[in-house]
Amino acid sequence: MSATELPTKEAHILKGHEGAVLAARFNGDGNYALTCGKDRTIRLWNPHRGILIKTYKSHGREVRDVHVTSDNAKFCSCGGDRQVYYWDVSTGRVIRKFRGHDGEVNAVKFNDSSSVVVSAGFDRSLRVWDCRSHSVEPVQIIDTFLDTVMSVVLTKTEIIGGSVDGTVRTFDMRIGREMSDNLGQPVNCISISNDGNCVLAGCLDSTLRLLDRTTGELLQVYKGHISKSFKTDCCLTNSDAHVIGGSEDGLVFFWDLVDAKVVSKFRAHDLVVTSVSYHPKEDCMLTSSVDGTIRVWKK
Amino acid sequence: MGSDEEDFVFHGTPIEREEEIASRKKKAVAGASGNLRTLPAWKQEVTDEEGRRRFHGAFTGGYSAGYYNTVGSKEGWAPQSFTSSRQNRAGARKQSISDFLDEDEKADMEGKSLSASSQFDTFGFTAAEHSRKHAEKEQHERPSAIPGPVPDELVAPVSESIGVKLLLKMGWRRGHSIKEVRASSDARREARKAFLAFYTDENTKETPDSLVSETEVETSLGEDIKISESTPVYVLNPKQDLHGLGYDPFKHAPEFREKKRSRMSANKEVGFRKPLSMKESLFGPKSGKIAPGFGIGALEELDVEDEDVYAGYDFDQTYVIEDEQPARQSNDNRLRLTSKEHDVLPGFGAAKNSDYSMERFNPPIIPKDFVARHKFSGPLEAETKPTVSAPPEVPPPADNNLKLLIEGFATFVSRCGKLYEDLSREKNQSNQLFDFLREGNGHDYYARRLWEEQQKRKDQSKLTLDVKVSPTVQKMTAETRGSLLGEKPLQRSLKETDTSASSGGSFQFPTNLSDTFTKSASSQEAADAVKPFKDDPAKQERFEQFLKEKYKGGLRTTDSNRVNSMSESARAQERLDFEAAAEAIEKGKAYKEVRRATEQPLDFLAGGLQFTSGGTEQIKDTGVVDMKSSKTYPKREEFQWRPSPLLCKRFDLPDPFMGKLPPAPRARNKMDSLIFLPDTVKAASARQVSESQVPKKETSIEEPEVEVEVENVERPVDLYKAIFSDDSEDDEDQPMNGKIQEGQEKKNEAAATTLNRLIAGDFLESLGKELGFEVPMEEEIKSRSKPEDSSDKRLDRPGLKEKVEEKTSSLTLGSEEEKSRKKREKSPGKRSGGNDLSSSESSGDERRRKRYNKKDRHRNDSESDSSSDYHSRDKQGSRSRSKRRESSREKRSSHKKHSKHRRTKKSSSSRYSSDEEQKESRREKKRRRD
Repeated sequence: MSATELPTKEAHILKGHEGAVLAARFNGDGNYALTCGKDRTIRLWNPHRGILIKTYKSHGREVRDVHVTSDNAKFCSCGGDRQVYYWDVSTGRVIRKFRGHDGEVNAVKFNDSSSVVVSAGFDRSLRVWDCRSHSVEPVQIIDTFLDTVMSVVLTKTEIIGGSVDGTVRTFDMRIGREMSDNLGQPVNCISISNDGNCVLAGCLDSTLRLLDRTTGELLQVYKGHISKSFKTDCCLTNSDAHVIGGSEDGLVFFWDLVDAKVVSKFRAHDLVVTSVSYHPKEDCMLTSSVDGTIRVWKK
Repeated sequence: MGSDEEDFVFHGTPIEREEEIASRKKKAVAGASGNLRTLPAWKQEVTDEEGRRRFHGAFTGGYSAGYYNTVGSKEGWAPQSFTSSRQNRAGARKQSISDFLDEDEKADMEGKSLSASSQFDTFGFTAAEHSRKHAEKEQHERPSAIPGPVPDELVAPVSESIGVKLLLKMGWRRGHSIKEVRASSDARREARKAFLAFYTDENTKETPDSLVSETEVETSLGEDIKISESTPVYVLNPKQDLHGLGYDPFKHAPEFREKKRSRMSANKEVGFRKPLSMKESLFGPKSGKIAPGFGIGALEELDVEDEDVYAGYDFDQTYVIEDEQPARQSNDNRLRLTSKEHDVLPGFGAAKNSDYSMERFNPPIIPKDFVARHKFSGPLEAETKPTVSAPPEVPPPADNNLKLLIEGFATFVSRCGKLYEDLSREKNQSNQLFDFLREGNGHDYYARRLWEEQQKRKDQSKLTLDVKVSPTVQKMTAETRGSLLGEKPLQRSLKETDTSASSGGSFQFPTNLSDTFTKSASSQEAADAVKPFKDDPAKQERFEQFLKEKYKGGLRTTDSNRVNSMSESARAQERLDFEAAAEAIEKGKAYKEVRRATEQPLDFLAGGLQFTSGGTEQIKDTGVVDMKSSKTYPKREEFQWRPSPLLCKRFDLPDPFMGKLPPAPRARNKMDSLIFLPDTVKAASARQVSESQVPKKETSIEEPEVEVEVENVERPVDLYKAIFSDDSEDDEDQPMNGKIQEGQEKKNEAAATTLNRLIAGDFLESLGKELGFEVPMEEEIKSRSKPEDSSDKRLDRPGLKEKVEEKTSSLTLGSEEEKSRKKREKSPGKRSGGNDLSSSESSGDERRRKRYNKKDRHRNDSESDSSSDYHSRDKQGSRSRSKRRESSREKRSSHKKHSKHRRTKKSSSSRYSSDEEQKESRREKKRRRD
């Protein structure tokens, strides 16, 4: 894929959030997008037509992350009010609130079967919440992190968390082991490659690091953007050919996965790019920013 | 006092007898407090301050009561002032608390509030404060809508203070500053004018008594304003809107108030005041970082987490911020805000730049060679002239002995001072070996060494101080000791230390000398030699404590709090270790005595090695820091992690720890962990960790283990049950348990159970003692125990086995034995062959034994049961005896009411019957058991 095939053309601009948008996420099939922000709302969009479908309000403070189940029926969100919300998409009602984190919750994810929610919190813990039963107690608390957990990713068998203590910790349920990869720099965001072999970790030294998951080896380093003080996202394209990272100066960077060259960079927003999300199948990208807008990029 | 005492002169007051004083004091105190507290309530008397009785009975008191208590006048009751309601309608009179208080109570109240009396109120502050408060209160009650300044004449003090009076006498007039007054002008009129000028400009013009022309007014005005010193009080927020009183439309949206105000002020005083920038107006100084637009809920308070990290960015371009304003301006702005008024006086403008500027002084220039730290020359250093310049590094002399001597001597001199050097120089003038003291062979090297040592000593002075301060000299580690003794960490080569070891004797010389000064180093080293737990200093410390207790005897301290962190079983385990180690040491002592001479240098060597290893570790640590920048990251580490079973279930994965004991639940409180968490759980969990480090055995074996563990977990409850319930249920449990136990085959499990038994045995013993039984010695088990059993771990610790056999009493019943044997035979498939057999056998034995223990307990219990039966019987007897006594008493006391008698009889009979029932049931139980 050459640089021209990258989604660098603005297709839509989604306005509606008041204040910073903190996360923008595609749903499982990429037809819809959920965004959340400082205005304590979660919004459901059709990014391909650029229309707002629904607004979800219940959070008491800013909403930091949101994730949709694979069947698009439920989603979960978390934020500054220290709770994890489990929502029904269609009715817009909160099915359950999971309380237990002692601090703000930075990230949430469903597992594949959408039976549990894993949340990463300021209280240095990952918590696993059960969606099936009516229990409000966490199924598991993972508190081996030494500092705020910023980001969490789930595979079929593992829970991976990235923390400010500089580690990416993989918790493997099959063998009951914890693999801690110390990067030496606060980890801002982690995302997993589509083939599941690599973890991309965005660190606060303005560097993205690509790790081999099996050996913990550092495969590649991506630089050029600014990521020092804000939570900015990074991800891989759906073909795993490029690495995408948002920058604090409003730019979005595309690196070649293998040789780590900046393939493309363009000004997506005026202010900090908080989140980037790549369409699971098409060449389409969502970016959100502190300036209160979400932009849809296509090629 | 006799007549002969007249000759004496008495000083002071004679000591009175204590009783008298005490009683008098008591009375005095009681009298003073008005009621005799020591007296019973009905004897106490209430008096007023003059000692008159205040309360009287209904028919007592007479005149005193009527006169003093009610009216207080001879004429009797009369209304104090009568006002006819015809002319003067009585308004709603406000009652105050003083209406209901007595004089003395009022006096009390007065005493509480401290205020200057008007007589001494020099500047009238108190009075002014009072009147101001009063005015304020009034204003609150009936809010005035007068906008604008309220002249302070309206809230002037009611009574003039002495100071004001004095000033007035001296010619001062109100509203003027204290200065020369123009003689020609009428001060009062001027003041009035000034006041009016303040009020509004128009009024001045219309003033009827203004005889002066307008221009004159203008000029005099200016002067008068200068003259008037006392600042007028302003109504800070005059009501200027049309809202209802007390209604604040901006209550929940203060940003709009600010906006409106800025708009208004912009309208009214154009150019005077710039509208506040949006940021400022929105959130004030404190909450400047909150994201615009969305406050948090009314019930929540702003927190750190509400800070808007993106606040530096103005995300919406609709607000205009005046960026052209220099930073200085905003500062002024704030200053103005802090000066309470939001407006500047009409006709005045805020100064663009104030004359006031902070005078700054440059810090004094520090001379280049200035050392910030002052060095106190110690007593030793005072003698030795501190050689500031380091002597050049000199290669050591070829002769190793000489080198060592020099080194040792240098160390010693550095410790003991120059004096020692001089002394030894004199002493050893003829000695060739000490030539290095006198410009001879190796002098340079000596000088260098000495300097080095002195430097080192200086560095360590703090450390040594610490050591001296701390009373626990024993805590010295090898490192500190080494540094104290001036031992050099091994750096150069191992060869050197070898030579030093060979010529240890000569090296020893200075240290031996220094023994007179400090604690014996050799004893220290001897202690070092017996350090079986060198790697774990805490444990070593405990071991030493243990040794001390063992050899010195005396009262055994109940384990101090530092051991409390250990679990019961861990402690027991450690104790066994200690015993074994102590024995080993004991045995090895003789051997060691012989080897001491050769051992010591070796020890020293070891210490040195340790020392150096510590050094390298430090280096490694610093290296880690350095490596942060280098390429060693990412670093991978692996840990044990246990997913909860439910998590695995939700992820549709088999639990890797399936069948293993769940981790010890977090103790809710101390009691929980004390009572219901047996140590086996802890031990097992610890073991589990160690096991899972090498994950090999899988679920098939572990299935039964869990059940066993579970049983262990419930052990205390079992005990409870064993004591307080009959064991028929237990019999039912037995076959199941038996099967499970057969499958059991972990060696360490056996160890755990041994410990368990130890504890249980302890318990049994104490139980037996409590019930007054002799717990019989274990016989059968001993004879039955198979040779495999002897291969058990326990044999490694002979002390333990004895203890175990002592403590675990077993009185097995024949039938029980048979049963268990049958059970064993029933489940042969569960046994695994090979090496495991022995362990399984032994553990099976353990199990069985344990069960016997249990049985024992039951037996004990049953016996205790029967004993209690006996007791009850006894009681019964006593009761009947008492009954007999009762009846005899009845006979004696025939005047007792008959009904009462009947009642007692009835109750006793009922008790009787219930006792009978109990007895019956017990007997039945017994029969069932048999």
